[in-house]
Amino acid sequence: MQKDEILENLKNAVIDGDEDRARENAKAAVKAGMDPLEAMQLGLSRGTDVIGKRFETGEAFLPELIMAGETFKAAMAILDPEIKKQRKDVPPVGTVVISTVKGDLHSIGKNIVAAVLENNGFKVVNLGTDAGALEIIEEAKKANADAIGLSALMTTTMPAQREVINALRELNLRDQFLVIVGGGPATQAWADEIGADGYGQDAVHAVELLKRLLNSSRA
Amino acid sequence: MTDFLDVCERAETGPLMTERDFELKEFIPKLRAVVSEHGIEYSGETPVPADDDLADRIYEAAVDFLARVGVYCQDTNRVIHFAEEEIRDAVADAPGECLTGEGKDATIFRVRQPDSDTPARCHVNWGTVHSSRQIAVDVMAANVAHPEAKAISVSAVTNTVRGIRFSAGSPLEMYAGIRAVRTARDACRRAGRPGFPLMNLSPAAAAAVTTIGASAPQFGARPTDGWIIGIISENKLDYGAMNKVAYLLNWGANIGSQGAPSLGGYCGGAAGTSVVNTAYFLLGLVGMKANYHLCFPIHFRHGCCSTRDVLWVVSTSSQAASRNVPLPVIWLGYMAAGVNTKMYFYEAAAYLLAATTSGGDAVKMPTPTKGVKMDASTPMEARFGIETVKAASRLHREQANELVIKLLDRYESRIPDAPEGDRYQDCYDVTTGKPGDNYLRLYDEVKSELSGIGIPFD
Repeated sequence: MQKDEILENLKNAVIDGDEDRARENAKAAVKAGMDPLEAMQLGLSRGTDVIGKRFETGEAFLPELIMAGETFKAAMAILDPEIKKQRKDVPPVGTVVISTVKGDLHSIGKNIVAAVLENNGFKVVNLGTDAGALEIIEEAKKANADAIGLSALMTTTMPAQREVINALRELNLRDQFLVIVGGGPATQAWADEIGADGYGQDAVHAVELLKRLLNSSRA
Repeated sequence: MTDFLDVCERAETGPLMTERDFELKEFIPKLRAVVSEHGIEYSGETPVPADDDLADRIYEAAVDFLARVGVYCQDTNRVIHFAEEEIRDAVADAPGECLTGEGKDATIFRVRQPDSDTPARCHVNWGTVHSSRQIAVDVMAANVAHPEAKAISVSAVTNTVRGIRFSAGSPLEMYAGIRAVRTARDACRRAGRPGFPLMNLSPAAAAAVTTIGASAPQFGARPTDGWIIGIISENKLDYGAMNKVAYLLNWGANIGSQGAPSLGGYCGGAAGTSVVNTAYFLLGLVGMKANYHLCFPIHFRHGCCSTRDVLWVVSTSSQAASRNVPLPVIWLGYMAAGVNTKMYFYEAAAYLLAATTSGGDAVKMPTPTKGVKMDASTPMEARFGIETVKAASRLHREQANELVIKLLDRYESRIPDAPEGDRYQDCYDVTTGKPGDNYLRLYDEVKSELSGIGIPFD
């Protein structure tokens, strides 16, 4: 197979969520002696870009996003050892610990944000739902996270977002992590009131917000 | 026929799997397969289809889906499966009605059919949080006083107890839960309808212990009220929900299962969401022993129920259920725009026309500002809802479809930046409980405009 054909196949495998085709073409890339980083960036990542755009315009939904992410990972399981052999490193855009807060079992919105973050090159530690303030903070420390994302879908669980921020302050850790909040009842005014760094009204905005906040904090 | 103890047993013995595997290896691929095998396709050109065959295919797809996928129990990490015959038996045995309320306020909540000329049951008030007990009581009492209103959703009263903001599962939530029931009962008494059914117990209660605690009869709850028990999206239960079912079954109280599939989430687009929404009626019957159901399919990005694709889900799953599942359903719609805006009325009219001409048994008056703004609801929205429901009973699905398209033209592009609107105290006289002139003028203007496009108000 020609290099261009392999790249096109990798891109389309991600778009179609076809893990077998992605693995097969990742192996072909290695066998053909292609630069594995190039296979990732000019093949797989272009596929995630397409799905990301379709998601933004409402032509793709969470299942397509997840399948694209899983396909990307399947191919990377083959490409990653080659990348490491060449001592090339692909640092994540940032590391985010994300969770639905204590008392709240709603996961879909938060999982959409996690999937869009991953598709944009973030490393995501997804703690699931009903996580307490200290658990979230411990995981953020363990992951050496840049940011913490807190979701709440009910007005009665919103105070648990504040609780995480207050706990960070009490532990003198507030400056170590950016904190963004989201979920149905959350607003920019709520984020301001509790001292969060930002509010993401949906997944796409949350990713843009995090990128912007990370750029500012790194500058 | 399965009883609830069978469900409890299967929660402890069903196949073990991680939640992630349930989502990725069971829910998503099997839903996609079912949608494709039953030929369910979304058409944005017809938000209210008059297609009985499509409705019946969605019902069959929902049976098939629930039988293949089951429901995930988060506490045991096991899947509770139901055989297809068990699902069909539960449907065959469903009574199709439930008794709500007491004394002269008692009514039978029954199923309807698409294109029925019997108006849908009007379910008033919202779970909106108010800034004071006074406003909560004033709004609830005014809504209950509408003669056509048959049941109420209780407001959360306020989000604090003695100035302390309460959080889910805390002891303060117990205080808030009890207060909500007592306050609603007071409001019903003030409206002269003390036996009026409270159908969303317990508001302000996230934890099972709060629901059960606040339901003690000395606080005002009765078995002829209704308790809402949420299916966790998507297709999951936990022991909190199952404890509520166990308690209410032992008491003999009305159980309302609640499904809120997210369009754009694990369900994918409108076709998958319609199948899952219909499957939730079935899960209510077979897995939760519900005798009524409340649902609100919702758009994952906009957080409202008035988008074109969600309206199609409302219409098609309502038709699928009303033609095949004898379980009374309350349709709840969250609108993007708020109180005292024209856009709210356009959205509410579209939602109510779609739901009621498609066989919706009961409709809750659509909730302004997605239900997230404090004090953002007034009796005027309930009045509009009741008048629209009455008008809708004079229409068939084809006529509703044409009207919904005209309404979508008026608001669809504004959904992402919908106007937030007013609070009760901005457009009502809080002393007299009467609407201000501005709001009355806007109301008359909108009604006249909507009459002009063909909605047959009285």
